[in-house]
Amino acid sequence: MNRTKREINYGMFILPALIFYVLFCVSPFATMFYYSVTDYSVMKQTNLSFVGLRNYVDIPENDLLLSGIKNSLVYALLMTIFQSVLGILLAVALDKKLKTKNILRSIYFLPAVFSPLIIGFLWNYLMSTSDFGLINQGLTSIGLSKINFLGDSDLALYSVIFTQLWQWTGWAMVIFLANLQSISKDYYEAAEIDGATGAQKFWRITLPLLQPSVNVVTVTAMIGGLKVFDIIMSLTNGGPGNATETIMTAFIKTTFSQGFYGYGAAFGVVFFVAVMLLTMILMQFLRKWGEKIA
Amino acid sequence: MSSRSIQRKAEGRTWILETILILLAVLFIIPIYYLVVTTFKSPDEATLHPMALPFHFTISNYTEAWKAMNYPRVFMNTAIITVASVTGIILFSAMAAYSLARRTHVVNRAIFYFFLAGMMVPFQMGLVSLFKLVNSLGIMNTLLAVICVNIGGGCIVAIFLFKSFISSSVPIELEEAAYIDGCSEQRTFWLIAFPLLMPVTATVAIITTLNVWNDFLNPLLFLQSRENNVILLEVYRNIGQFSVDWTSLFPMLLLGVAPLMTFYLIMQRYVIKGVAAGALKG
Repeated sequence: MNRTKREINYGMFILPALIFYVLFCVSPFATMFYYSVTDYSVMKQTNLSFVGLRNYVDIPENDLLLSGIKNSLVYALLMTIFQSVLGILLAVALDKKLKTKNILRSIYFLPAVFSPLIIGFLWNYLMSTSDFGLINQGLTSIGLSKINFLGDSDLALYSVIFTQLWQWTGWAMVIFLANLQSISKDYYEAAEIDGATGAQKFWRITLPLLQPSVNVVTVTAMIGGLKVFDIIMSLTNGGPGNATETIMTAFIKTTFSQGFYGYGAAFGVVFFVAVMLLTMILMQFLRKWGEKIA
Repeated sequence: MSSRSIQRKAEGRTWILETILILLAVLFIIPIYYLVVTTFKSPDEATLHPMALPFHFTISNYTEAWKAMNYPRVFMNTAIITVASVTGIILFSAMAAYSLARRTHVVNRAIFYFFLAGMMVPFQMGLVSLFKLVNSLGIMNTLLAVICVNIGGGCIVAIFLFKSFISSSVPIELEEAAYIDGCSEQRTFWLIAFPLLMPVTATVAIITTLNVWNDFLNPLLFLQSRENNVILLEVYRNIGQFSVDWTSLFPMLLLGVAPLMTFYLIMQRYVIKGVAAGALKG
């Protein structure tokens, strides 16, 4: 009797978090699967009819959604790779005995505390082709011609990625650096006695032992990259054309501006499956790498 | 080569590396420097001398932005949302994680994985039904709506962090002694276990504060009236992308990032530590 009461007491501890999680995350997400097979829209909010897979079949014919998927994939992939590579390089450099180490670390991390929305507005001015655009002013002053960073549809997505690397590389660096500081110096001393070069030490000791932080940074960057939203809203609003539309911006536009709820929900399901697949592939890849090291 | 000259060569290389890193840091900080100095300039001055310090400090830009944004109001709204969400996330997650760490039977393990799976799920995609739910609960266009959604989503990572901390670093012996003395589970948790969670609580507080304060999507969806606006919404609604008097918008951007920038400048060691710990300990 006493024991049951005890278990119930323990169970009660879980309830508040579980209620909020189920009510505000899981259940809305679960209903999305139902909406995705109905004709739910701003015009038809009651008496929903079952339309089978029609919403899904229509997705490949929608340029907005297709561009969103393509751009998000490119964005997530490039962000994952460059954030990790640049973050590791910075972290390894800052792990040396430097006098200005702490202040440098603080400066590189600084952009990560800002809201991506405001960062987007700021870079909109910095990358502008108007007279006041700082970067183009710099380019013309050394005799180069202006570059239309955000207006050129071949360039715009990469400009967005550039601003986000500026913002998040310091974040990745901080995580790599914390990981590096936990690596025992004994390994390096032993390697030095054996006459290992700097490059050998990096590939054979540093990189393998960075595995925990590489896992965290790549998975976070990938999932975050697929969900990117704020920076697009303030930097390009998806343009020019659909050149920087992402899954989230396309989803919000389809759902709220155009009012196709069922259609948006089908797109949501596709996105969910894509995130799961990509994360699983990435984790499999990381596990293989981990086994190879061990 | 003597060991001393090797050392000297290594020092020389470190010196070059440090110079490169400092130059890179200067480049890194230019956008933020530009943001700050431009707030005091007229459009002409900012176009002609973008990188110079302002010739005369006019704060009229600031007073206008302050008024246009209704800054005290939106600051308070953002602060209320952040404090309430972070408090809720910490209390509820610590409680749940405690139970999940101390009772590892099948049901609890399943519940833990149920939370954990949420890390991969893009819950934002459910926002049509979330919108309806918020409406039917009668909390549409209230700060409470944003707070509730934040708590639901914020618990996921927090429970993960709390649980691994409790399992690895909180000794169970104290709790067993309390149990033998007839202390209830409630009292045991709040009086004995919770105070020991300080390090991980600080970590969770820092990462959720950054997330909640900078969140734009939830306020955009659930707050429609101006008196319930948060800082970011006010910036978003005020900024037209093409304006003749474009420098007058810069104080708004700075006022938008100023609170967290101040927080970071004062607490930078803890913020960096918290972010690293939140990512690696788990």
